[in-house]
Amino acid sequence: MSSSVSSTSNSVRKVQLQINGVSKDFDGVLAVDNVSLDIYQGEIFALLGASGCGKTTLLRLLAGFEVPSAGSILLDGEDLSRRPPYQRPMNMMFQSYALFPHMTVEKNIAFGLKQDKMPKARIADKVAEVLELVQMNGYAHRKPHQLSGGQQQRVALARSLAKSPKLLLLDEPMGALDKKLRTRMQLEIVNILEEVGVTCVMVTHDQEEAMTMADRVGVMNNGVLSQVGTPMEVYEQPNSRMTAEFIGSVNMFEGTLKADAVDCAEIQADALDCNLYIGHGITGTEGMELAVAVRPEKINVSREPPSQQYNMARGVVEDIAYLGSHSIYHIRLRSGMIIMASVGNINRQLASDKDQRITWEDEVYVSWSDTCGVVLYS
Amino acid sequence: MHSRWLTRLSWSVLVTGFGFLYIPIVILIIYSFNESRLVTVWSGFSVKWYGELFRDEQMMNAVWMSLKIAFMSASAAVVLGSMAALIMVRFGVFKGKMLFTSMITAPLVMPEVITGLSLLLLFVSLDQFIGWPDGRGVLTIWIAHTTFCMAYVTVVVNSRLQDLDESLEEAALDLGANRLKVFFVITLPIIAPALAAGWLLAFTLSLDDLVIASFVSGPGSTTLPMEVFSSVRLGVSPKVNALSALLIAVVSSFTFVAWWVLRRQERLRLVDLQGAQKQQDQA
Amino acid sequence: MARLTSWRPGRSLVIAVPYVWLLFFFLAPFAIVLKISFAESQLAQPPFTNLVAVVDDVLTFSLNLFNYIDLYEYDLYLRGYLNSVKIAFFSTLFCLLLGYPMAYIIARMPTHSRNICLMLVILPSWTSFLIRIYAWMGILKSNGLLNNFLQYLGVIEQPLEIMHTSVAVYIGIVYAYLPFMILPIYANLVKLDYSLLEAAADLGAQPWKSFVRITLPLSLSGIIAGSMLVFIPAVGEFVIPELLGGPDSLMIGKLLWAEFFNARNWPGASAVAVVMLLLLVLPITLFHRYQARDLELKPDA
Repeated sequence: MSSSVSSTSNSVRKVQLQINGVSKDFDGVLAVDNVSLDIYQGEIFALLGASGCGKTTLLRLLAGFEVPSAGSILLDGEDLSRRPPYQRPMNMMFQSYALFPHMTVEKNIAFGLKQDKMPKARIADKVAEVLELVQMNGYAHRKPHQLSGGQQQRVALARSLAKSPKLLLLDEPMGALDKKLRTRMQLEIVNILEEVGVTCVMVTHDQEEAMTMADRVGVMNNGVLSQVGTPMEVYEQPNSRMTAEFIGSVNMFEGTLKADAVDCAEIQADALDCNLYIGHGITGTEGMELAVAVRPEKINVSREPPSQQYNMARGVVEDIAYLGSHSIYHIRLRSGMIIMASVGNINRQLASDKDQRITWEDEVYVSWSDTCGVVLYS
Repeated sequence: MHSRWLTRLSWSVLVTGFGFLYIPIVILIIYSFNESRLVTVWSGFSVKWYGELFRDEQMMNAVWMSLKIAFMSASAAVVLGSMAALIMVRFGVFKGKMLFTSMITAPLVMPEVITGLSLLLLFVSLDQFIGWPDGRGVLTIWIAHTTFCMAYVTVVVNSRLQDLDESLEEAALDLGANRLKVFFVITLPIIAPALAAGWLLAFTLSLDDLVIASFVSGPGSTTLPMEVFSSVRLGVSPKVNALSALLIAVVSSFTFVAWWVLRRQERLRLVDLQGAQKQQDQA
Repeated sequence: MARLTSWRPGRSLVIAVPYVWLLFFFLAPFAIVLKISFAESQLAQPPFTNLVAVVDDVLTFSLNLFNYIDLYEYDLYLRGYLNSVKIAFFSTLFCLLLGYPMAYIIARMPTHSRNICLMLVILPSWTSFLIRIYAWMGILKSNGLLNNFLQYLGVIEQPLEIMHTSVAVYIGIVYAYLPFMILPIYANLVKLDYSLLEAAADLGAQPWKSFVRITLPLSLSGIIAGSMLVFIPAVGEFVIPELLGGPDSLMIGKLLWAEFFNARNWPGASAVAVVMLLLLVLPITLFHRYQARDLELKPDA
């Protein structure tokens, strides 16, 4: 899968798009705040964030629909930030697909090529080629309204790929599809993009979509790019409380640094009776405030007390959300904090054998290993 | 029981309303086929008043004059009105937008006597100082009608433009077409039905106007409503009934055809959509 | 939202064309009306004096207020204004009383019959205004169809005098302007989210209560737009009082017309127009406020 592409190879890959200190303010409101970012050739990069975080504005700045208030945008070393959209070698697939309703599929795809004054015969070849690519060969003479949502999406993709852009922009590519179709199209689009080998920047609010499709993810919040990395990095090593909480769910322990050694650290958490133990040294001074994030699936739930003295707590099961493949336990600690623990339903559970399972009001222990906590400073 | 009572009430309101709107028109048409000169006494079927109407050269000249002016006014109003709509919807804020919006909305309600008088005084003053438009006639009626019709066109085109997904225009820009080209290749074809509707509305408004034209017309530029008005003022005339029946027939058949075409398109679109849905289900 | 810089030069030009046209042919004429309302009538071409003139080698500037004093002195004009406002007000009320239920019923119909009814509402306003008023002449005359019909039925013995009374004017105005009341209200009601009413019913509101509390306030902008579309032109209406009205239905539009065409008193007619405009400033502003909101780009688009 695409997300398996390692980030270590980035250093040898060519930078195609450079965003240098770009800001955009709308009447005094900073929608994009001094964002700098390098996009490598051939990668799929996802801008991830809640609505209003500035990700769409950043995409529109790339496409040329907005002019940056500060900073520059370089594609292959060339500054594009003041060029109108029709002079930029990049194309966009719109959230609404924006297929021209008065033109057939064929005319829609040929539109961009005609603007380049390409000879007719070449246009026809190119149209056939991209239609083949998205498996829509039979639909050249249909009008957009004669197509289903999934088909419209394929045509929109074909149209934005027809001009062989250096950079492809996708605005919420799955936003208009229902959930089942979404999962299928995510993989299909990634396959098409990899076949073409085009560099791609997409915008999404759906973390699952970003993680499935993108090689790297940039998390945006309040106009600021708060973290950039592979999906695994962003999930497993969030650099701030905000990223940790935005991507996936997390148990956040606030505390103060008790002891810091070369290969371990101890943190006193207000919500726990015992200290938190981190299996690596951290850079900090004793007494400083920080937080430790532990993902629910890293937490072990048991009836018997665990053997360790750190990273554990006793509590009562307050709620169980049965989600089929796994269940989420909400466990209330003595301090009042509620810990979420995800437990895989590895064995088939039947309603009859309720005694063996941990259930509501049970007294349980939660624990996790010293490699599972992520220390967050901000 | 309660809802049946409501349904009955609804029906009687609708019947009363539409009866009120249509009975006078129907009576007018029926009596255009009356033999008698006395419009209110039925004395047998005849089409002689239609013949009289077509032989009335003055009336026919006025018809021709009105059609000519309506055509020119509607065309100019569509150009200016669409520009105004585009400015309102797509151009954001600019200096003097408040005044512009006021000048678009005010003609919709401005009493015709005021518009007519003010335009006449403008033309007279202009004549006095720069010697243009040199008397009154077709040109001055055209200017007056264009001015009051363009506000209506703006309203019609404006609502269509607001519904137009802006990303369509952005997509065309993104694919390499410049602003001007996007307007002509994407925006214009998509809003074309609204332009046609605006043109037709302006055409009928111009064709219908009596008051403004009376103020700004000159000798030799008598329009149809002016001609009708002067004959109606003297009393009911069977020739006017014949003319009215013809006008109503033309307008309603036009409207009906337009409505029918639109409805057919909509139905075809629905069939297509269902087809697409089915395909997707099978896939 | 900020637009592209490259659109700027063309942008000014596109704005300039309709802007200049309207400034010149819509706004400027009002200034001239105001100017001429201060002039004196004279037997010449054009039939009014200049405010600024050279008399005996002296530049004189005369501001003549007599036209306005006349309006005040002659009881005729005062009555005309009051009567116009009264007739326009009650006609608007009648239009609302008939138009609102119609708009409401049409808006709640299934799409197919809704479109047919909507077309039936619009159709008359596409046929000639003058002819539709003319149609009523044949109906309302003392030996007209209505009287003939009622006498035939034996309801009345003597013909009713409707023609050349204010009743005829009311009928004419309501008839001619009804579609202008129905359409804005319909446009407003058809957008109304009916789940709001269901929610109100669910919360225990009586139908009439949810109508008063929810439907009516939410369709208020349609009511105001429709009422202004009827009231303002009705105040200055000329054709209807001229053809259907009589001595008791004196209206200001008719007085202006007579002043201009019959008395050839252009400054006098201008003064009538200026006062009428002052009278209408408030309703026009009100209409503009609601209309401008519709014309501006919707915030969510």
